[in-house]
Amino acid sequence: MGYEWDFLVVLRDFDLLLLGLVNTLKVTVLALVLGVPIGLALALLRLYGNLVVRAPVGLLIEFLRTTPPIAQLFWFFFALPILTGIEIDPFRASILTFALQSSAFFAEVFRGGIVSIDTGQWEASKALGMSRNESLRRIILPQAVKRMIPAFLERAIELMKTTTLVSTISYADLLYQANSIAQSTYRSLEVFSIAAAMYFLVIFACSMIVRYIEARLAIASEAAH
Amino acid sequence: MTEILRLRNLHKSFGPLEVLKGIDLAVAQGEVIVLIGASGSGKSTLLRCINFMEIPTSGRVFLHGTPVGRQTSSGVSYVERELTQIRARIGMVFQHFNLFPHMTALQNVMEGPRTVLKCSPDECRNRADNQLRKVGLEWKADAYPSQLSGGQQQRVAIARALAMEPEIMLFDEVTSALDPELVGEVLITMKELADEGMTMLIVTHELGFAYSVADRVLFLADGNVLEQGSPPEVLTYPKEEATKNFLRGHSSFRLPEPQLD
Amino acid sequence: MGYQFDFSAVIGNWKLLLIGLQNSIILGATCLVLGLSLGLIVGGMRYMRAPIVNWPATAFVEVFRNTPVLVQIMWFFFAFPIISPVEINAFTAASLGLTLNTAAFSAEIFRAGIRSVEKGQWEAGKAIGMTYIQQLRRIVLPQAIRRMLPAFMNRAVELMKMTSLASVIAYGELMHKAKQISTLEFNPIEMYTVVALIFFALIFPLALFVQRFELKLKDSG
Ligand SMILES: Nc1ncnc2c1ncn2[C@@H]1O[C@H](COP(=O)(O)OP(=O)(O)O)[C@@H](O)[C@H]1O
Ligand SMILES: [Mg+2]
Repeated sequence: MGYEWDFLVVLRDFDLLLLGLVNTLKVTVLALVLGVPIGLALALLRLYGNLVVRAPVGLLIEFLRTTPPIAQLFWFFFALPILTGIEIDPFRASILTFALQSSAFFAEVFRGGIVSIDTGQWEASKALGMSRNESLRRIILPQAVKRMIPAFLERAIELMKTTTLVSTISYADLLYQANSIAQSTYRSLEVFSIAAAMYFLVIFACSMIVRYIEARLAIASEAAH
Repeated sequence: MTEILRLRNLHKSFGPLEVLKGIDLAVAQGEVIVLIGASGSGKSTLLRCINFMEIPTSGRVFLHGTPVGRQTSSGVSYVERELTQIRARIGMVFQHFNLFPHMTALQNVMEGPRTVLKCSPDECRNRADNQLRKVGLEWKADAYPSQLSGGQQQRVAIARALAMEPEIMLFDEVTSALDPELVGEVLITMKELADEGMTMLIVTHELGFAYSVADRVLFLADGNVLEQGSPPEVLTYPKEEATKNFLRGHSSFRLPEPQLD
Repeated sequence: MGYQFDFSAVIGNWKLLLIGLQNSIILGATCLVLGLSLGLIVGGMRYMRAPIVNWPATAFVEVFRNTPVLVQIMWFFFAFPIISPVEINAFTAASLGLTLNTAAFSAEIFRAGIRSVEKGQWEAGKAIGMTYIQQLRRIVLPQAIRRMLPAFMNRAVELMKMTSLASVIAYGELMHKAKQISTLEFNPIEMYTVVALIFFALIFPLALFVQRFELKLKDSG
C-alpha cells in the first residue's frame, strides 16, 4: 500500500472545483426558488382543489416522489426535447427537473404543516367572518410555516445532495469538475476525496444551521405551551 | 415488632445539590408510613433511594437487618446484581403509572414474575389473575393501557408491583396525575392493602387519606425529617412552624384552628 | 406535438430490462439488509456514552449523512480501488456507497427510536427488578421498533430509488440497461418513460404501504 499522495495536482485545479461548487449552489438555489412556490400550489390544489384536480395532482406528486431523480433528469434531458422539438441545455434540464422534483416534496411538507393546524383555528377565523382564503393566508399558513421550517430546510439540503446528478448530463457542477480533473490528472483518489470533503463542509454547515434553527424553534414552541 | 427496613444517615446529592441530608428511619413489618412535604423537599428521592433507583451518596440501607452494598475504604460500593435483586423485593408505584403500553393489563402484571422471577407460565398466570382480582380489574385483563381510565391504569400498576410479592411497597404521589373523580378507587385499593398488613411508604398530598391510613407521618423539609409522629401529632397538632405552614396550604385538610391557640 | 410513440423497441428488449430490474432488486436488497444491520450497530454505538465508541460512530454518521450519495458511490468506484487491497467492481462500489449511506441514516432512526421511549418505561422495568438488558429487550425495544418501522420502510423506498445511481458507474441495473437500449434504438422518449413507470410500479406500493402504516400507528397512539 505504498501509495504516494499528491494533493498538489489537485490544488492547481482548485479554482475549477470552486467553480463547480458555485454551479452546484446555483442549481440548488434556482431549483429552490422555483420549487417552493410550485410546491405550495400543488399542496393547495391537492388539499382544496375539486375532485377532478385533486386526483391527478396527487398522482403527479407521488410519481415525482417515488421515481428516481436520475430517471426524471434523463427524461427531461433526452426525451423532452424530441417530444417538443425544443433544444434544452443541461442547465435548463437540471433546473426543470429539480424544481419539479423538489416541489413534490415541498408540497407534502406544506400539506403536512397545514393539516397539522388544529381545526379550532379554522373555526375561530370563520367565526370572525373570514373567508377560506383569508383564514388560510392570515391564520393557518403563518402557523403552518413555522412548524414546517425544519422539514423544509432538511428538504433543501436533500436537494443540494441530489443536484450531483447534473454531472451525468455534463453540467459542470462540483462532481463533474472533480471527475474531469481526475481523468486528466490520474489522481482520482485525491480529487474525489477533496470534492467529497468540500461537499461535506458545505452540507454539514447547512445541517448545523438547520439543527440550530430546529432547537430554537423547539424552545419557542415549548414556551408557547 | 420486627424491623424490616432501616435507613442510616442517608445522604443523596445531585451534583452540587444536596437533596437528602442524613435521613434516619426504621420501618417495622406492616407499618404504613406517609411522607409529606413541599415539592422539591426530597420525598421522591428518598423513596427512590430505598429501592436504589437512585444510588445514595452515603449512608446505608438495611433490609431485615442486612446492609445493602459493601463497605469499602472509600465508601459503600454496590453491585448491580444485588441492586436488581433488592428492587425485585420492593414494589414501586409511580405518579404516571408507567404501564407498558405494548402489553395488556394481564401481560403487564405477568411481566415481572416471568422475566425477573422466572416463574413457570402457570405460576405467572396465577399470580397475575390473583392480583388483578384484588384490584378489581380481572375483567379488564385483556385491555391495553390505552383502553383503561387513569384510575384503572394505576390499579393495574399496583397489581404489577404486587405480583412480585414484595416485602415493602413504595407509592410516589400515585393519585396526583388522576382526575379527581378517579382518585378514590386508587386510595381504596391502597387502604385495603394497608389493612392486609403490607409494609408501605407513601408519598401523598391526600392528607385525609394520610390521616386514616398512616401509622406514622413524616414531614420532610429541606432534605431532613423535620417532624414525625402519629397522624394526629403531625397533621393536627404540628409543632414546627414549617409543618403548620405546609398544612395551611392544603385546603382539603383543615386544621382544627381553635384548639391550637 | 405530433410525435408518434413506438414502444416496439422497448418490448423487444424486455429480456435486458428484466435483467436490469433483477440487478436493481439484488443491489437494493443487499444494501438494505447490510445497511440496516450495520445501522443497528452504529446506532447502538451512538447511544453509548464512552467517547471511544461514540466518537467514531458519530463521525461515520455525520460524514455519510452530509455528503451526496452519488459522491460516495463515485468515490468508492474511482478513488477507493487505489488504496483498496481487494478488487472493486461496480457492484461492490455501489454496494459500499449505498450500504454505508443506509447504515448512517438508519443509525439515527434507531437512536431516535430508543430515545423516544419515555424514561418512565425504563424505570418501571427497573423497579420490578429487571436488568438493563431485560429493560431494553422486553420493554424499550418492542415499543421503539414499532415507532421506527415507518422510518425504516422509508429508508427502503429511498434506497430503491438510489440504486439507479449505480448506472453512473455502469453497473447493469435497470437505469443502465435503459440508457444502453435508448442509445442503440434511438428511443429515449419511450425508454425513459417506461423505465420511470417501472420504478414507479416498483416503489409506489411500498411508499403507499408506509403511509398507511404510519396512519395506523398514529391512530393507535
Ligand atoms: N435526577 C435528578 N437530577 C438532578 N436533580 C434532581 C434529580 N432528581 C431530583 N432532583 C432534585 O432534587 C430535589 C428533590 O426532588 P424530589 O425528590 O423529586 O422532590 P419531591 O418529590 O419532594 O417533590 C429537587 O430540587 C429536584 O430538582
Ligand atoms: Mg416527587
